Amino acid sequence: MSRRRRVHDALAPDLDATLASIIGASILLTVVAGLVQVRYGAYEMPLETAVRALLDRAVWTNPSVLATLILGERGAATLGLSADLGVLSNPTIIVWTSRLPRVLVAAFVGLNLAVSGAVFQAITRNELASPYILGVSSGAGVAVVFTLLFSLGAYLLPLAAVVGGTAAFLLVYAVAWRGGTTPVRLVLAGVVVGTIFNSLQTGLFYFIDSNGVMRTAVAWLAGSLTGVGWPEVRVVAVPTLLVVPAALVSARQLDVLLLGERAARSLGMRVEHMRFGLSALAIVAASAAVAVAGLVGFVGLVVPHVVRTFVGSDYRQLMAGCLFAGPALVVVADVFARLALPGTQVPVGVVTGLLGGPYFLLLLRRTDSFTEF
Amino acid sequence: MPEIPLLSTTDAQPTDETEPVDDAALLASDIELGYGEEVVVDCEHLVIPDGRVTALVGPNGSGKSTLLKGLSAELTPESGTVLLDGRDVHERSVSNLARELGLLDQENDAPGGLTVEDLVTHGRYPHRGFLDPLSEDDYAAIDRAIDLAGIDHLRETALAELSGGQKQLAFIAMALAQDTDVLLLDEPTTYLDLHHQLRVMEVIRTLNDERDVTVCVVLHDLQQATRFAEYLVALEDGSVYDWGPPEEVVTEQLLADVFNVDASVRHDPDGDPHIVPRHALE
Repeated sequence: MSRRRRVHDALAPDLDATLASIIGASILLTVVAGLVQVRYGAYEMPLETAVRALLDRAVWTNPSVLATLILGERGAATLGLSADLGVLSNPTIIVWTSRLPRVLVAAFVGLNLAVSGAVFQAITRNELASPYILGVSSGAGVAVVFTLLFSLGAYLLPLAAVVGGTAAFLLVYAVAWRGGTTPVRLVLAGVVVGTIFNSLQTGLFYFIDSNGVMRTAVAWLAGSLTGVGWPEVRVVAVPTLLVVPAALVSARQLDVLLLGERAARSLGMRVEHMRFGLSALAIVAASAAVAVAGLVGFVGLVVPHVVRTFVGSDYRQLMAGCLFAGPALVVVADVFARLALPGTQVPVGVVTGLLGGPYFLLLLRRTDSFTEF
Repeated sequence: MPEIPLLSTTDAQPTDETEPVDDAALLASDIELGYGEEVVVDCEHLVIPDGRVTALVGPNGSGKSTLLKGLSAELTPESGTVLLDGRDVHERSVSNLARELGLLDQENDAPGGLTVEDLVTHGRYPHRGFLDPLSEDDYAAIDRAIDLAGIDHLRETALAELSGGQKQLAFIAMALAQDTDVLLLDEPTTYLDLHHQLRVMEVIRTLNDERDVTVCVVLHDLQQATRFAEYLVALEDGSVYDWGPPEEVVTEQLLADVFNVDASVRHDPDGDPHIVPRHALE
């Protein structure tokens, strides 16, 4: 046993059979749902065409075309790689400019929310914690509605969401701080600050008089991926590059934190520093997701939970599982959000709730105790 | 090293300590410990001798756990200092302290899915950098700790499947894996059945005999303390009532004054005191 341990290092969790099958199943689900998403839509194409478009030689063998698609015309131009996309076939254009980026955004959103939820569940030692537990959702919500109400510009929405969420989080921390924090005080402060901000948000809603603005606001608050493209991929991908390695590295810290504050301290952890740093990581992850998709609910709560029922509470395994299961849930949910109702789309957050909720209920009925922690 | 006065109690109890202690692993001077306004422990002088097993005894509320918190720098004293190996515990960084001083709490909690080996591995936390994988030293320490705690057969077992006593041994193994020179234990035998109480105390003895670790253990059971510890510190109302080898400290007077118990103390041929409680005093 210890020999097996000896060969892997800190960044590579034990790839035991359960974890491997979770990762495998998640990848499979993500790919299948992604293909469905890429194939179906207003522009009909057979699966073969869709796959051909994905693997289009004109894209893959041509760095400047690829760069123009992914980085946008201006981004590619700064690299001196701009290309005219007119040479591409119609299916390729549709797959590459609209359907594929949406799948990618969904995957990134799922990943970040799952990681964020997993971290918050450990920090608060509460299995029902979600990325929004420390006020992020309500802070972001107020900022978004405010931005919409005063027509400050739609391009400001991601920024507003992040600023609002972070501000609320800092406020929660300040409220909870009395020579230190405790998980319970943090959660209570989160609930109180959340309630206040939710009231503010509801109050602001009252002043919206345009139907269009109302719709946008609702889509944001429910979490929607309608109309996302490569710019959103870029927005969410950058923080994700930080979040993934940080999450894997933090796993051991989270495991020690789960032993309780006093134990963690006597093992030499600077608990307050660590807790704040880990919260900040979780906020970055949640903000990245909120910035592109709005407040997609339930993912951050349910994904770590599901993974935990399979791999146990060892965070090195749990984190690795979340990195794959999160994307799977949101990509699948977005298929329903986009394609379930002909002619219209529902916010993906509504679907994650509808998919995740019943699963959670099932879990609740089948599990004897929720006291894994 | 200058001679350290063994003890100066505020009480008038005669303290003709015999064995000279020329080395203090932990030395607390003039510490006042408390929560907010309330001072719980007020102790002029306390020595935890190097390389020995010392037991802190006293009735409920006498400040045993609080004193332990003070010694482990978890609680900052209102005044006074606690020196570990001559250096103030509060001036050390948390991780430096954790490499020299282990502390096991009275109540421990860990995710039930964790295996014993996982738990013990956490004991290596202070010795590892942020990104360091486990080194050969770490593995050796983990193996030693599990071996010493006698739970080799439970290595792969999840904590949720262990009995209370086995769980306690697993937590002790975690503290052992920390590889510290000093180990503080807060009531490690409370709530355990007799078999596991003895197991725990035997592990502590072995640790002290074989690895020369200084142990300071809070014990509820005076008889048990008498049996396993080389020194006793009896606390009464937050201050030290008496200090010394058990055969000198444990007297009928102490039981009456500190524990409010009328008892007879008999000494067996080896000189070990045996306590036979008769009834509670008003």
